[in-house]
Amino acid sequence: MLLEKTISDVKESFPEAILDVTEFAGERSVHIKCDRILDILSFFKEAGFEFLADLTAVDNLTLGGFERFVVVYHLLSHESVERVTVKAYLPEEKPTLRSVESLWKTADWQEREVYDLYGITFESHPNMTRILNPDTFDGHPLRKDYPRRGRIERSDFPQVKRGIRKENETP
Amino acid sequence: MPMSQDEIKSNVLTTTIESAVNWGRKNSLWPMPFGTACCGIEFMAVLAARTDISRFGAEAIRFSPRQSDLLIVAGRISIKMMPVLIRIYEQMPEPKWVISMGACASSGGVFDTYSVIQGVDQFIPVDVYIPGCPPRPEGIVESLLKIQDLVDKEKLSDYALSDTK
Repeated sequence: MLLEKTISDVKESFPEAILDVTEFAGERSVHIKCDRILDILSFFKEAGFEFLADLTAVDNLTLGGFERFVVVYHLLSHESVERVTVKAYLPEEKPTLRSVESLWKTADWQEREVYDLYGITFESHPNMTRILNPDTFDGHPLRKDYPRRGRIERSDFPQVKRGIRKENETP
Repeated sequence: MPMSQDEIKSNVLTTTIESAVNWGRKNSLWPMPFGTACCGIEFMAVLAARTDISRFGAEAIRFSPRQSDLLIVAGRISIKMMPVLIRIYEQMPEPKWVISMGACASSGGVFDTYSVIQGVDQFIPVDVYIPGCPPRPEGIVESLLKIQDLVDKEKLSDYALSDTK
């Protein structure tokens, strides 16, 4: 099977970067250190996992784990119809890792979304700016230590008064 | 052409300018739908055959705020959309009225998170609120009738005074 072979090949090629390989509900996850992310994902891509189905992140603040932040790559092989999840662990201080935009163009916007909501920056990304929140937004709201109801961002707008028309009684 | 007393009785109607203008306005409201969520879908049903708001003269939906006098905020407004809504409200010519349609536009609804405005009436003046998630088409027709009542109470003197300010 392509999946088993690729995982053992990755373990052999990058022994120092692999933290763990786990299985849950029939899905394999490869847990890695963040510094070799581009090499490892290139390896997976050349081995046949040529489709990046999803790129997202997790904040482990209350969950525990190797490090606080995880960037999660869901890869799919169209030929063998097998999936693998690659999880790259990042430290809490200045979480940064290499962009995989050079491997998959779809990573462009997804990495921007991760940056917007988690504050994880991607090196050599062509346009590392916010994608969902306004450019003036302060903070990264999907971090677990961000207040759920926000700070003042949803009440910080000018109030428009009625113009010529006077305040009518509500019918 | 001279008219006889009988002809005048059957052809001439006396009224005030104010009630004639208000009568015209209230029966030709041009809505600007600001549909950002499922309320916008529900609003489409109001235009369809069963509740057909053209019966009240409000079927001329304009997607340009400069041509409309009734803003219908239908759906949740995010912090990124609020400046757009304020700009659209300011672009509408006077006189103008605002309906806040549904739970999200009126109060934020279930979306009590950092990114959703908790009621558009915090920032723009709202005349009529419609409860519901989403409201039934009958609710929107009811709100339109309430807006018509409001239009009927307009005082032309308010506008005359505003020129001298």
